[in-house]
Amino acid sequence: MSVQKENRSKTMQKEFSEYSKEVDRAQHDENIRKAISRAVKAYRETTEKTMKSYPHTPEMAAEVREIKRQSVEQREELVAQAMEAVENNKGKAFFAKDKHEALVIASEIIGTGKTIVKGKSMLGEEIHIREYLEEKGNTVWETDLGEFILQLKKDRPMHILSPAIHVPREKVAEIFTDFFEKEIEPDIAKEVAVVREFMREKYFTADVGMSSANVVAADTGAFVIIENEGNVRLCTAAPPIHIIIVGTEKLVPTFQDAMKVTEVTWRYAQYPVPAYVNIITGPSKTGDIEKVTTYGAHGPKEFYVIFVDNGRSDMEADDDFKQASHCLRCGGCMYECPVFQITAGTFGETYLGGIGTIWNVFTSGGLEATSPQLYTCLRCGRCVERCPMQIDVPNMILELRKRLAAGEVIE
Amino acid sequence: MATSPIDMPQKVERKMPPVLELIRGNIIKHGNPLALKGSEISAWAKELNLPKTGNLLFYTGGEYQLLPFIDSLVKTMTVMDSNSKGFSMLMGVRNILGKTGFAPEKIYASVLAQDKERFNEVSLKAARILQSLGYDLCYSGEDELYSGALLYELGYWEDLASYGQKVMEVFKSSKAKTIVCLSPHAAEVIKFAYPKMGINHDLEVKTFVELVWEQRDKLPKVNFNKSVVIHDSCRLAREMGVTEELRDILNSMNVEFKEPLRKGTWTTCCGGPNKFMFPELSQTIAGGRVSELQSTGADLILTSCPYCLSALEGAIDKNNRDIIADFIEFLYKEIVE
Repeated sequence: MSVQKENRSKTMQKEFSEYSKEVDRAQHDENIRKAISRAVKAYRETTEKTMKSYPHTPEMAAEVREIKRQSVEQREELVAQAMEAVENNKGKAFFAKDKHEALVIASEIIGTGKTIVKGKSMLGEEIHIREYLEEKGNTVWETDLGEFILQLKKDRPMHILSPAIHVPREKVAEIFTDFFEKEIEPDIAKEVAVVREFMREKYFTADVGMSSANVVAADTGAFVIIENEGNVRLCTAAPPIHIIIVGTEKLVPTFQDAMKVTEVTWRYAQYPVPAYVNIITGPSKTGDIEKVTTYGAHGPKEFYVIFVDNGRSDMEADDDFKQASHCLRCGGCMYECPVFQITAGTFGETYLGGIGTIWNVFTSGGLEATSPQLYTCLRCGRCVERCPMQIDVPNMILELRKRLAAGEVIE
Repeated sequence: MATSPIDMPQKVERKMPPVLELIRGNIIKHGNPLALKGSEISAWAKELNLPKTGNLLFYTGGEYQLLPFIDSLVKTMTVMDSNSKGFSMLMGVRNILGKTGFAPEKIYASVLAQDKERFNEVSLKAARILQSLGYDLCYSGEDELYSGALLYELGYWEDLASYGQKVMEVFKSSKAKTIVCLSPHAAEVIKFAYPKMGINHDLEVKTFVELVWEQRDKLPKVNFNKSVVIHDSCRLAREMGVTEELRDILNSMNVEFKEPLRKGTWTTCCGGPNKFMFPELSQTIAGGRVSELQSTGADLILTSCPYCLSALEGAIDKNNRDIIADFIEFLYKEIVE
């Protein structure tokens, strides 16, 4: 056996054994079990009701599939067009080919000793931006309630939309009591209130607001962010600087396309309508005095966008996997996944479940490190039934197993 | 197309998890994933004296016959390290291989004769049902080989490309135009995977359920005074598109059935597919599905896939296992016996 082969085998064995232990631990975790079974039931009931109230949704999903398909074909043009639009709108646009570049660009904009309020972002998890900025001497606050809980708990998200799905109110009360150094009852309303009070001051004293986006319209340079808590409104509007870090797969050609993608995304994420849809195109401005355009009125004076590739163009260049980039991250598939229903996000790494496994191969670890997840998928195919983009996850998983067994490398 | 060595895709030698290698090795060497003998797999057919050639090939792929041995193998592998079942599953296989390689007689010593008999009989019952509906069957007997479905599932496509050719030779020697598969996994692989591997054929691939459905007018009305619930198999429902056929058959027989919350193409997986890699997780998933099915209040769960049968049964208490049966067993009891 060559040294290289031996090392590879050892790494793979280690990954398999650690992962197996995690999976076994997760399935005996009462918190996960309780929280997930409630969430699955609620998701199914709400979605059924929502689809009845908005019966045009599946048809619109079909339109979005076509928009996404075309967007993959025109990716390079869309990135160039969007970057130009951002500059025209008085923002600064950057392109990062990988994780490292993205982090360096962000860090150069921010510097050190700053306070950053941040909205929830899967790309943020993918490149570990919070940890990086903290290492550079900054303070970062996760403003999404679920992410904030995990930040304090030093844990990772167990669902892409409800990251702290596995933490019940009693545990939250414990964590908050510890952090705020005062007794917080296990009462959800009180838990929400204490974070609201704490965060309020952060929004208005922070140096930088950071967010991602659900959809980006290339023609107008419009960034669309769906949310319910109102934290994204605040952290993208209150601080003097706003930085958006977004994956290139979010780009679609036009503003009208973006609206369709937005509606389909929130609908399959079980919302009849979300509380807020933010559309941001540049820094805050006013022309109210003598029609002279001045930047930095009530909102940020500076606006930066970092488009991140980090494996996406490889995924989109591969006919077997380009469809995976259509994923809207509505999270619907996870509720239908028989494994996820038991283990939650233990089945996954940065991205979760079957589609997450495919994403992890290309963006966060490569084929070998993701191999335990590849063999966790049952390939049952119920995710495809739920998926508004009808992404053929079971066949992609199979293709990856084939490449793994054949000794191919994706890193 | 890669034109220069620099553009060639990089390849490495990679050692796959031992449990997967074991299954792969058994299929290639012994013609089935658990290294059983052909004579053992085809023993059920002795009394039928089926011809080796004909128009309609009856294909068991040995899958029902293998079922009692799967659990034995999984158990042998999991008792080694009770602290970490997952870990031993993956690493402990080397220990059961020993110096002489895989020793079935050792691993399977604990398999009960009654279990072997029950699962051997599923194939016999299926053949008898089809005969009673007027089908003339041929069967390859000891020459029959497992389809290679697990090679496909686990990623060993290069092996399947050559192994499948051997399976195809056996099919071709039967001169059959149609092949009827008891396992939806076998049907899927022969119909969809073989052509992908360059194993071309013009066999018409049918499942057992479809053949029964085509002759459903011949089925007798029965007096079954309990209610049943159908567990749709993922492969049968999603890949083979067979869902309503099962219900039509029950309707033809006047059998009352209930529907679970998740059925047809929305069916819940039995957990079987990751039994070898994550046995505990697999069993938990199976337990969840059994609860879903039982919450309909039905007396009997019916499945139409060997792995669903094995997985779901594994999640039911040993003394209570008459609440589940294969569709084949149910039909046989009601219309042949």
